[in-house]
Amino acid sequence: MLSTRVLSRSLLRSARPNSTAFFTPRRMITTESISASSANSILAAQRLARPVSPHLSIYQPQLTWYLSMTTRITGVALSGIFYLYTIGYVLVSPFGVDMSVANASKKWGELNGAVKAAVKVPLAACFSFHFWNGIRHLVWDTGRELTVRGVYRTGYGVLGLTALSTLGLVVV
Amino acid sequence: MASTLRSSAARRILATKPTSAIRLLPQTRVAAFHASQRHQILPPGPQVVHGTVNDPVPIPTPNATHGSYHWAFERIIALGMLPLTVAPFAAGTANPALDAALGTALILHSHIGFDACVTDYFPKRQYPKTRTFMVWLLRASTITAAVGLFSIQTNDVGLTEGIKRFWRA
Repeated sequence: MLSTRVLSRSLLRSARPNSTAFFTPRRMITTESISASSANSILAAQRLARPVSPHLSIYQPQLTWYLSMTTRITGVALSGIFYLYTIGYVLVSPFGVDMSVANASKKWGELNGAVKAAVKVPLAACFSFHFWNGIRHLVWDTGRELTVRGVYRTGYGVLGLTALSTLGLVVV
Repeated sequence: MASTLRSSAARRILATKPTSAIRLLPQTRVAAFHASQRHQILPPGPQVVHGTVNDPVPIPTPNATHGSYHWAFERIIALGMLPLTVAPFAAGTANPALDAALGTALILHSHIGFDACVTDYFPKRQYPKTRTFMVWLLRASTITAAVGLFSIQTNDVGLTEGIKRFWRA
């Protein structure tokens, strides 16, 4: 008799809404549902706090990647000068500045010899290196010299040729 | 109502000073993964999260011009520049046709090189606005440079002769 009463009571309680709330231990944390976009912004903020993996500075300086890097730097330097002069030719000339080759080269020629040398030697080196290493890249593009030995052999060859042709261009 | 009460109660408890039991727990510390000194070259760029981890990798729309044609095109220009940069200066004469060919190749080669730099250093994923700006800045610069070169070729002494004059000045 008693067992039937207990069973019916428990059944009744379980049928009630919030019936389990009484037995559930209260947790001292709260959760809140957030939108996908704000979840992403939290994730993005967390990623910003991650350590940045070091690059360049942790690698041993080697001929391979130093020459590769130098190719781009020399190319940007040469093309940068070319662009600066030609863009200046268009944009500055209307304001009464004489950008013609005759005038600009005359002004350039009047500069101190040391200043001219300080510009010409690096410029000659930039052109020489970009020229010879460009040939090296074109050789690689045909599938040749694509071994560690080949990369170093051609690399030192490029450096030697660069030194020679820089000297030649400066003397000219 | 019940949930707000509970959360406010929880907040009150969390705001109070930690009990001795909590204080025993180790504090969260951020430690570097490596013991060596950190050499941070650049701060991390803006982090953008697109979609979820379950999204498939998007398949780029096929385009007939996206094959290896640009690669061959770049090589043809670079290969053509080898004789073009040497011949006019070695021959000592400024042939207008040769000069025009060298100028065109120089503009194209420069544009391709700068474009590769923009692609590498302004990734679209992290800097979409800067990338678009740099791409258009480069296009405007290339067109202006080409206009300038054209007037040097037509109204001035020309490219080869110009370089020669600067070098020997």
